[in-house]
Amino acid sequence: MTATTAASRRARPTAHRPADAGGPTLPRVVAAQWTALTSLRSSWWAAALTVVVSGVLTHLSAQASSVDPGFDPLGSLTSGVVLSQVPPLVLGVLVGTGDFSTGAFRTTYVAVPRRWPVLVAQTVATAAFALLTAVAAVAAAVLALLPSARSRDIALDLGRDGTPQTLVGMTLLLTAIALLGLAIGALVRRSVPALTAAVLLVLVLPVVLLLATDLSTDPLAPATGGVPPAVAVVNTVVAFLPSGAGALLTADVVVEGAPDLGPWGGGLVLAAWIALPLAAAALRLRTRDVV
Amino acid sequence: MIEVAALTKRYGPTTAVDGLTFTARAGAVTGFLGPNGAGKSTTMRVVVGLERPTSGTATVDGRRYADLPAPLRTVGVMLDARSVHPGRTAFRHLTALARTHGIGRARVDEVIGMTGLESVAGRRAGTFSLGMGQRLGIAAALLGDPGTLVLDEPVNGLDPDGVLWVRRLVRDLAAEGRAVLLSSHLMHELALCADRVVVIGRGRLLADAPVAELAADGSLEDAYLRLTAGAVEYQGRAVGEAGTTAVGGAR
Repeated sequence: MTATTAASRRARPTAHRPADAGGPTLPRVVAAQWTALTSLRSSWWAAALTVVVSGVLTHLSAQASSVDPGFDPLGSLTSGVVLSQVPPLVLGVLVGTGDFSTGAFRTTYVAVPRRWPVLVAQTVATAAFALLTAVAAVAAAVLALLPSARSRDIALDLGRDGTPQTLVGMTLLLTAIALLGLAIGALVRRSVPALTAAVLLVLVLPVVLLLATDLSTDPLAPATGGVPPAVAVVNTVVAFLPSGAGALLTADVVVEGAPDLGPWGGGLVLAAWIALPLAAAALRLRTRDVV
Repeated sequence: MIEVAALTKRYGPTTAVDGLTFTARAGAVTGFLGPNGAGKSTTMRVVVGLERPTSGTATVDGRRYADLPAPLRTVGVMLDARSVHPGRTAFRHLTALARTHGIGRARVDEVIGMTGLESVAGRRAGTFSLGMGQRLGIAAALLGDPGTLVLDEPVNGLDPDGVLWVRRLVRDLAAEGRAVLLSSHLMHELALCADRVVVIGRGRLLADAPVAELAADGSLEDAYLRLTAGAVEYQGRAVGEAGTTAVGGAR
């Protein structure tokens, strides 16, 4: 059969037309995925919610603390960042699962039979869309500080101390969380299990772990000066979870008992959380049938 | 042209396609017939690279589908009308697909016109009836102006007008020199539009002959029932030998 195939290929080198000119190159697949992502209402809802949650929560937090004597508006800058991660996370999961949860994967992978360019293109399109959303959300957070700052006649100085790092860190964090959602979605393929896993990992697990240590340590025990071992273990684990690593991006925080990863270390940990499921999803796409 | 040679596809112990060989030639409509579960859709999924054969080959114009430099310009595929994200409009679905191959807006509008979807192109695919979904699937298959078409049950859910339209469309496509592989449950339909019919049962080839030859003594339907009765009889024997499932699985 191989001989027949080779012979027929030689007999008709260009079957119908010079088809090589119009194949699915990576830039074309990226363009297609950008069209696919921006043509869903859910993407725009997620973007709008990110900006609104970021702005509203930051505003409320700043309003609440503006009565404090030593009020610093920039202290409230990151107060919306935990909850404003939810819409980008959902956006990423929906992009990752969209093809497989609907049957659209047949169309997608018939057009791009090498398959992996689709995953690369989804990553690029999601990163671009989430980055634009994140910039708008961080801008909304800054603007939301203005009323409370003005009420106390405080001028916002965004160039101060760690503020530029915080602004960049928040933007990168929101973008990375969307990519984490994409990676989980691409690996799990079904929307509900993927969303559940993503929310548990990013939002629920760190809170549960911290609550558990709070309950297990005796608040009345005399301070011995050191960090209780249980707390150190939990803080170390949390620092290596996406949320803990992500928090390191936005500020130089020293968590007691946890290794000091710094913003770069936190960023690398978060990148690994994205890269590993994406690699597993790519391997599955490459080696298995898509059904 | 599609060439399927000694194609076998197994899922664990189940053999869906079993040593199947046939050719869908250029300039002809090849009907693909068989009872439910005969392996028609599996064969088509292997041909278009969604699944890999366990053994044997499936090629289009002499190449494996995955090795085609521009798949959409070589093969037009419609496997299932529900191969669209329901939240995307028909126009945006086709646009995203076209962009993977650098196909322009003009061609997207053209296939929307050809399939009669102008008035609903801006509607989300999730609101489409089965028949409109089939039209959208055919529009996607025509997008790259391919020399080969693979259509799985294209008349499913279409109104009589639509059925007539598909019949004329596939005849015209074949007359232009394209190879069309079209599966259907509707014998009557294939008798009217196919040049040749490939009949399979339980993953095996039962017949591969011109429609006129198969229907020589009676109708195509009679011929089909006669042919697949063999496959059903075979199935009956397999069930009868209940204790020998392992033998069947090892085959």
